[in-house]
Amino acid sequence: MSRRNGKPDIIIFTAVIILLSIGLVMVFSASSVMGLIDYGDPYHYVQRQTILAVVGLVFLFILMRIDYHIFQYLALPGLLLSFILLGAVLFAGKDTAGASRWIRIAGFNLQPSEFAKIAMVNYVAVYLSNKRENVRKFFSGLLPILVFLGAQFALILMEPDFGTGIALVFTTLVMLFAGGIHLGQLAFISVLASPLLYYLVTFKEYRLKRIFAFLDPWADPTDTGWNVIQSLLAIGSGGLFGLGLGKSRQKFSYLPEHHTDFIFAILCEELGFLGGFLVIVLFFIIAWRGLRIAMRAPDLYGTMLAIGITSVIAFQALLNIGVVTGSLPVTGIPLPFISHGGSSLLMSLISVGVLLNISKQCSD
Amino acid sequence: MGRFTDSLVQRRILILLLVLIIGSGFFLVRLSYLQLWKNEFFQSRALQQRMQSIPVEGLRGAIYDRNGLPLALSVSAFTVYAVPVEVDDADQTARALGEILDLEPELILSRLKKRSAVEWIKKKVGEAEARRVIKAGLPGIGVVPTSTRVYPYGSIAPQVLGFVGIDNQGLEGIELYYDHYLRGQPGQAIFERDAHGRALEDGLRGYLPGGKGNDLILTLDFFIQRMAEEEVVRACRETGSRLGLIVLSVPKTGEILATAIHPSFDVEDFSSYPVENRKNIAVTDTYEPGSTFKAVTAAIALNEGVASLRSGFFDPGYIRVSGWTIKCWNRGGHGSQSFVETMQNSCNPYYAKLGIDLGGERFYRGLTDFNLGSKMGVDFPGEAAGTVRPPSDAIPLVTWANIGFGQGLTVTPLQLLAGFGAIANEGIFSVPHYVQEICTPEGNFAPDIPEQRHVVGTEAAQTTLYVLRSAIEHGSGKRADVPGYLVAGKTGTAQLVEHGRYSHSKTVTSFCGFAPSDDPQLAGLLVLWEPQGAFYGGIIAAPSFARLAAEVLPYLGVEKKEEEKSGLARIAVPDVEGLALGEAQAALDRAGFRVEVVGSGSRIVGQVPAPLAEVDPGTLVFIYTDLDYLETSTELPNPYGV
Repeated sequence: MSRRNGKPDIIIFTAVIILLSIGLVMVFSASSVMGLIDYGDPYHYVQRQTILAVVGLVFLFILMRIDYHIFQYLALPGLLLSFILLGAVLFAGKDTAGASRWIRIAGFNLQPSEFAKIAMVNYVAVYLSNKRENVRKFFSGLLPILVFLGAQFALILMEPDFGTGIALVFTTLVMLFAGGIHLGQLAFISVLASPLLYYLVTFKEYRLKRIFAFLDPWADPTDTGWNVIQSLLAIGSGGLFGLGLGKSRQKFSYLPEHHTDFIFAILCEELGFLGGFLVIVLFFIIAWRGLRIAMRAPDLYGTMLAIGITSVIAFQALLNIGVVTGSLPVTGIPLPFISHGGSSLLMSLISVGVLLNISKQCSD
Repeated sequence: MGRFTDSLVQRRILILLLVLIIGSGFFLVRLSYLQLWKNEFFQSRALQQRMQSIPVEGLRGAIYDRNGLPLALSVSAFTVYAVPVEVDDADQTARALGEILDLEPELILSRLKKRSAVEWIKKKVGEAEARRVIKAGLPGIGVVPTSTRVYPYGSIAPQVLGFVGIDNQGLEGIELYYDHYLRGQPGQAIFERDAHGRALEDGLRGYLPGGKGNDLILTLDFFIQRMAEEEVVRACRETGSRLGLIVLSVPKTGEILATAIHPSFDVEDFSSYPVENRKNIAVTDTYEPGSTFKAVTAAIALNEGVASLRSGFFDPGYIRVSGWTIKCWNRGGHGSQSFVETMQNSCNPYYAKLGIDLGGERFYRGLTDFNLGSKMGVDFPGEAAGTVRPPSDAIPLVTWANIGFGQGLTVTPLQLLAGFGAIANEGIFSVPHYVQEICTPEGNFAPDIPEQRHVVGTEAAQTTLYVLRSAIEHGSGKRADVPGYLVAGKTGTAQLVEHGRYSHSKTVTSFCGFAPSDDPQLAGLLVLWEPQGAFYGGIIAAPSFARLAAEVLPYLGVEKKEEEKSGLARIAVPDVEGLALGEAQAALDRAGFRVEVVGSGSRIVGQVPAPLAEVDPGTLVFIYTDLDYLETSTELPNPYGV
């Protein structure tokens, strides 16, 4: 195979840098009051986020220079490591609000599910590029992937972290779809999976309530509808130009998770429709350029890896914005590059680094 | 890359791109809908959610007497409140506040620990205390202006004025009835808060002061009220009465000048007094009027043509009505009497006969014309209606006979006074009322009082007035006369109804009348419940009215007239009531009268002709010593089973 050494996709890089900057500003704006109250320091949250952003950017630049093909050999080890970490979190995880999603390594809280996503993406990319046409066979093609996917999904659900689990499944399905899987098989496994999905949704009553609360949040405004209502109040208050940076009212403990999963609502409140519009367009640009890289990648592995990375970012962005705008059921999922949260930011920047390396090897 | 895989993958990536475009497009539309189309809706909802308001009272209107003297005023005070989530150190805050406000720290602490957004700590705090609270600078503790009621002239006419509660809301009396006018427009203190109720530092804050309530000008006259209050206390003390009431009014308008009740209460410390003391019994309670009611019977009978000045009646001492015997208080009977003399003698059988002659239908119509048995529309809460049963086959004739002399019906004191007022005012009935004017920023206006109306013809009223005047001049009400003024009126004494039967020992004695009789300016009703000792209205109620009228009439600027001279040969009968039997006999003997003693007692409780009546020398005077001869002596079961 030929190894080109062209220029990285500067458009993706620029879009990511802009999103990252917006993210830091918004994390500061949204978390300063909370930081002051909880830690006596308004910079508490933004400081950590900035450090991680810098670390992430360093990784991005390093990975941009490392030929992505070496990750081919890390497919199975990576998957294995993700299983170990996911298992560890269940036993030694840090408990937050009834869910243990983190393990503490070297002073940092690591979220193994974020790593698991990337490991899975890499594994699927390697698998598909090796199998090629054989992927259209069920037992020798699709089934092994489904087994690994099912195992990972089950471990993540046990944390529980429904949002990341959904993102994992969806990303894998997108890759399988793009990889040329037989659509009949896809339909078949969808039919097979639907009772399981139904069970997962309904076996805990709170989950079912939460899922349908977005359809009519005002029916239960103080409990299941609260998050959606407060999010809509924040977005709707923004208008065209927004209330101005730092002027959010909803961040005063009305909107929960206003610096993490619901930060897009605060962004829309402070920066208005123009701010929200810009963020959606930037994500669209990243996704579009990502798919463009996938189409021009030097080999099928590069194509599948680019699709995987792009769909992880794009799907999370769409799901997050869908939840925050009250268009989709409430699911805890961060907005890539913007939401406060180290693991997500780090893994996003690392995967963009890989994507940029693929772009360097693209044919024009 | 294999050709097949290659093209398939390329196609499917393009499909993904299409999905991406649709997805992004959907969210852009959704965002513009939320932010541009529904912007105002969400903005106002969010604001509504953040704004917290603390109500601020408007200053309550004042209550003035008819001369403009302030009887009740509201002055500025302060309310100390807490926003519990903003309080830093509850224990220390409670201690500090407890010291300033003179409250138990535990009480304050329990309020600071409540989960409500705003909690009251102390209301109606003085300015000095409020300043100290503000100076202490305790986080989460604030002060808002309010007001408190003060009474510059003390507790005057407390049963009429009523009082206000902790939130300056009218609880009783005029304060309650006119609360809607007196109460100020509530204002608000508004602030923007976070979801936990903490005020936002850079948040919106607003203060909307409350509007002042309307003032009231009462018909009460401070000075007359004071005189009445002194007199009712004196009357109760002298007679040992359990309860006393004096109501004075202007007969031509229904304006009430005074309502004095004993025992009374202190309006500034109302909760320390029994509830009975706080009632304005002139409006809210009813009683059997007894002989005073003969005036109303006479007016109705004259109006209906059942009686006239030429009517006469022979009283054998009793009258039989469908099997019942109604005895006259004078056991021997009054013999042959003119219409005027029946009133002077307060002859029960004659007024029983008038009731019978009128008959249920006519009598009842006359009574309802006098607004008896239904509320008059007095501007006071809790007005009683009184009881007059409408005619039916179930009501025997004797009931109407009884009502003729004031038994078997109940009236409020004000109903009786209003009836006398109509007699004094050519038959025009005015509903008594307490408020003269409501003062609003748009100008003063009179309250909504039912209009005046004719209840009996002018002639019937004037004739009744003449008869009532003669009852004072020659009859049992003699002691109600005031030097220089002509008084018209009627005394009455009724047995108190207890447990559904007439009591043998407890009475209600009263006087109702007006003056001057040729142009009545003042109407008055004096009622004493359960006087100890002498029982006759003429002995105890009438002199009280006379004393009061002697003070009030000059105060009202009513000119004195030369005392009318009666026949030269006539002399006044000495007043022997209340004296021991021997003294009485001696006194009458000295004055040149013949004496006949009725009863076997040792103390004089009544005399006929009445004390000070001008009669021919040598007239036979009956003196009564026994309890058998109360004015009302029918032994009937209580007709309405109270």
